[in-house]
Amino acid sequence: MSEPLLRAEQIARSFGRRKVLRGVTLDVAPGTLVGIVGENGAGKSTLLRILAGELRPQHGAITRSGALGYCPQAALLNETLTVNQHLAYFGAAYNLTSLSYAESLIASLGYQQYRTMPVGALSGGTKQKVNLTLALMHQPGVLLLDEPYQGFDWETYLHFWELAEDLRSQGRAVLVISHLLFDQQRFDALYQLENGQLTQLSIDQPREMKGV
Amino acid sequence: MTSWKRFATAARFALIEQARNRFALGLLLIFVPIWDWMFGTLIPNDPVAFKLQSTGAFLQVNGHNLTVLTSGFNAITLIVAFMIFTAARRNADFDRRLVLAGLPRPVAIAAKTTAIVVVAALVSLYATLVLLFFWHSAGFGAIWLGYLLDTLIYGALGLLLGVLISSELAGFFIIIMVSLMDTLLQAPIENPLANKDFLAAFPTYGPMQVAVSGGFGHGVPGAVLIALAWFVGFALVGLVIFWWKTRIWSIQAAPARPVTQPAQQPAQALSAATRDTLQ
Repeated sequence: MSEPLLRAEQIARSFGRRKVLRGVTLDVAPGTLVGIVGENGAGKSTLLRILAGELRPQHGAITRSGALGYCPQAALLNETLTVNQHLAYFGAAYNLTSLSYAESLIASLGYQQYRTMPVGALSGGTKQKVNLTLALMHQPGVLLLDEPYQGFDWETYLHFWELAEDLRSQGRAVLVISHLLFDQQRFDALYQLENGQLTQLSIDQPREMKGV
Repeated sequence: MTSWKRFATAARFALIEQARNRFALGLLLIFVPIWDWMFGTLIPNDPVAFKLQSTGAFLQVNGHNLTVLTSGFNAITLIVAFMIFTAARRNADFDRRLVLAGLPRPVAIAAKTTAIVVVAALVSLYATLVLLFFWHSAGFGAIWLGYLLDTLIYGALGLLLGVLISSELAGFFIIIMVSLMDTLLQAPIENPLANKDFLAAFPTYGPMQVAVSGGFGHGVPGAVLIALAWFVGFALVGLVIFWWKTRIWSIQAAPARPVTQPAQQPAQALSAATRDTLQ
């Protein structure tokens, strides 16, 4: 088994007296797609923020290899800037010399007609596409996606999975967090976050049989 | 990409965002001239005593001109603080995401400071030009400098409040109350106590001294330094809070391991059927 690109060991985090995470341990190996499901308030976003480095765990260790792509649950965008300006801004943040991959992501997610529009004028689904593009545009080794297909229409939802499959086949480690995970058979491993701990779930169908 | 290019990109977008704040631009175009005109109409040309800090002497200045000058301070401090506050508050999470993506915090801080300086310079220039319609002062440069110093101070205050306070309404109230209290207390016509020494402890004291002294032909006093100290103080506190709120916890790096395949263009990985559906 390959060394994981992302490893979390015994992660714990409380807010006041409320213990949200109580020793979460997780490995995400290269070329795997891992899902974490949990009810609202189970601590999924807290875990993802800790894995991204946004929040400090009070206990435990995280090891990561390669660049990180982080797609937060809420589309964190600047409403006054256009899609193109977001690409340029994040291109500077990621220190990219070319935006060609970002441009091809836009084409594949099918929103190139909105490139010169301010993000504030876009629909919720299109904002989510921009949100996802910003997380993927630097071709990271580790991807953390928090409810990444929220607001997508059906075609884009299907397309998201093609993109995820594409990333997996390139050897990237992809972690998807959601309160509802349809298409469980698309994952290599699936966990439930409950009472601050992860429990591995069985996957209904083998990957070879997955379908929409 | 060099740090300079990253800074240029971040500063450009910070300024574009300000330029797209249409409400603030509307206020500038309409509110500033009306404010100057209204106060100028109300107050006659009778002489008013103004204490000059550099000499301790009282100047006898034209009351109408002094009032128009101080009403300009009130208008532009409100508008600049509002502009910078709005952008800083709304972008709190977006800025954090940029830093998480790798934008160095010194670059983000330099871009924010640049936006304050450019907005302050342009707004103060505009307000000085508007003032010329109501008072043909020979001290154009000193008045612009006084306005510039005060808009710098209030821009930095807007930044501080924007990174500190999440409630838009609370931020606006603080800005309005501080600006009203500060600028009106400095004006001898609105406040008979305006020449009292304790008013030297307020932010607009230095800019007011500069603008009145220079505007009425008495040179630029050392109060410039007091004003700059206010600007630097507010900006430092705001930027330290920004630094704290955008901190990223370091994650231990595992030995580098390349991905198994070079990235494909995502469109190439699509099935023809899906691509057709998306068209």
